[in-house]
Amino acid sequence: MQIQDISARLLGSINVGICIVDADTGVIVSLNQTFETWFTDAAQGLVLNLDTSIALKDLPDREALEVRTKVKHRTLVVELSAHEAEHEGNRLIIIEGHNISRLRETEAMIDSYAAMVDKRTRELERENRRVEKLLLNMMPKSVYEEFMTFGCVTPRLFEPVTVIMLDFVGFTKMAAAGDPNVTVSELNSIFTAFDQIGEHHGSERIKTIGDCYMAVTGLPHSTPDHALSAARVAAKMMRFLERRNQTHPHTWRARIGIASGSVVGSVVGVQKYVYDVFGPAVNMASRLQAQSDPMEITVCDSMRDELIDDFRLSEAETVSLRGFGDTRIARLKQYQPNRKVA
Amino acid sequence: MLGQSEHQRSLPLFDKYGGMRALHSVIINFYDRVLDSDIVGPFFDDVDMAKLIDHQTKFFASILGGPAKYTDQRLASAHNHLTVTNVQFDEVIALLDETLTEAGFAPDDLSKTLSAVEARRSLIVR
Repeated sequence: MQIQDISARLLGSINVGICIVDADTGVIVSLNQTFETWFTDAAQGLVLNLDTSIALKDLPDREALEVRTKVKHRTLVVELSAHEAEHEGNRLIIIEGHNISRLRETEAMIDSYAAMVDKRTRELERENRRVEKLLLNMMPKSVYEEFMTFGCVTPRLFEPVTVIMLDFVGFTKMAAAGDPNVTVSELNSIFTAFDQIGEHHGSERIKTIGDCYMAVTGLPHSTPDHALSAARVAAKMMRFLERRNQTHPHTWRARIGIASGSVVGSVVGVQKYVYDVFGPAVNMASRLQAQSDPMEITVCDSMRDELIDDFRLSEAETVSLRGFGDTRIARLKQYQPNRKVA
Repeated sequence: MLGQSEHQRSLPLFDKYGGMRALHSVIINFYDRVLDSDIVGPFFDDVDMAKLIDHQTKFFASILGGPAKYTDQRLASAHNHLTVTNVQFDEVIALLDETLTEAGFAPDDLSKTLSAVEARRSLIVR
């Protein structure tokens, strides 16, 4: 086999498209099979028409040129580059074409996939924020952070803290008698207001059970004035209710109990989490709440020292409380603190 | 806690078969087959390559449980300017069958995927 034959066969079989054009006339001198498949017009017309604004004679000076051509139903992207050559006194342009369709297709696929993933990521972020918001409603931020980092929460003893327990007078009757939608929506707006009061005074809402609202001061970060903060929160709640009752058809009257002591805080449940606190202070606050008359705040007499500068308290009295026996208690005489405090 | 095997089973096919890294060749393979087909290829004569690839990528991500959801409504609206016959739809199913078989899909997963596409025939064929 002659060397020319080998060259010709090689030229015919490679995946690179080769086309040799007369630089002066634009007439195709020769082209290989691959080039012919891509540009059928070139094979028939003998004059290469690239369907671009670039003149053939300018091609050798340019960077590789990307042209699109249709083969069957598929659009091929071919990268053309050209070199000048001379043969027996004729100026020639050798055009070399590489099929880069696959590259462009893959790029298009990556773009498409990246857009999908971006969209999904944004959705997930939105969902995460929603879950975070929901969980933050259920537990203090520091507990939430521990929960997200370790997947569980170690029960912790908080001492000393003050527990506020609030319950509405005659709620069951009200719920049964009135429109339940109205009752629940009013309860909701009142609890929301309580949350805002708590936020200002450093108390954490732990939970609500029906019409019972429970909050704690001194948790998760201990504060020396947890008792006073709790009394302020309780007083503000009562004043809020008084003001609200003046302008609303339904009268909401609450009893509040406040007790200081220790509690254990933890997330309870595996599937249905709830952050809860347990301990003598919780039980005591609950008993004291039951001792209150409507719109009255009852405290342990042991808290007197903490509150005496800011609140007027009743004389101490001794009552027998279930689980605690004889206990000295006192009532906050008025909700307005004695002196202005920040 | 899920056992390893249970976890494996519940993975979407998209992840089971290697995610985008592996499905890249499946998508390209299917794209080639569809364009080479004399029955359905002509549909794509005037469709921009990037747009077609985008559709195919979303299509696979969607039928295999990847990060895209193609609602039936969107699927119907993407095809309502075309007149697709049952024969043409059958061709696409056959090409999909070939592609996924070649990609090594387990028979179970293959038939599940094909029936998911089959179930949407009425949205596309008119």
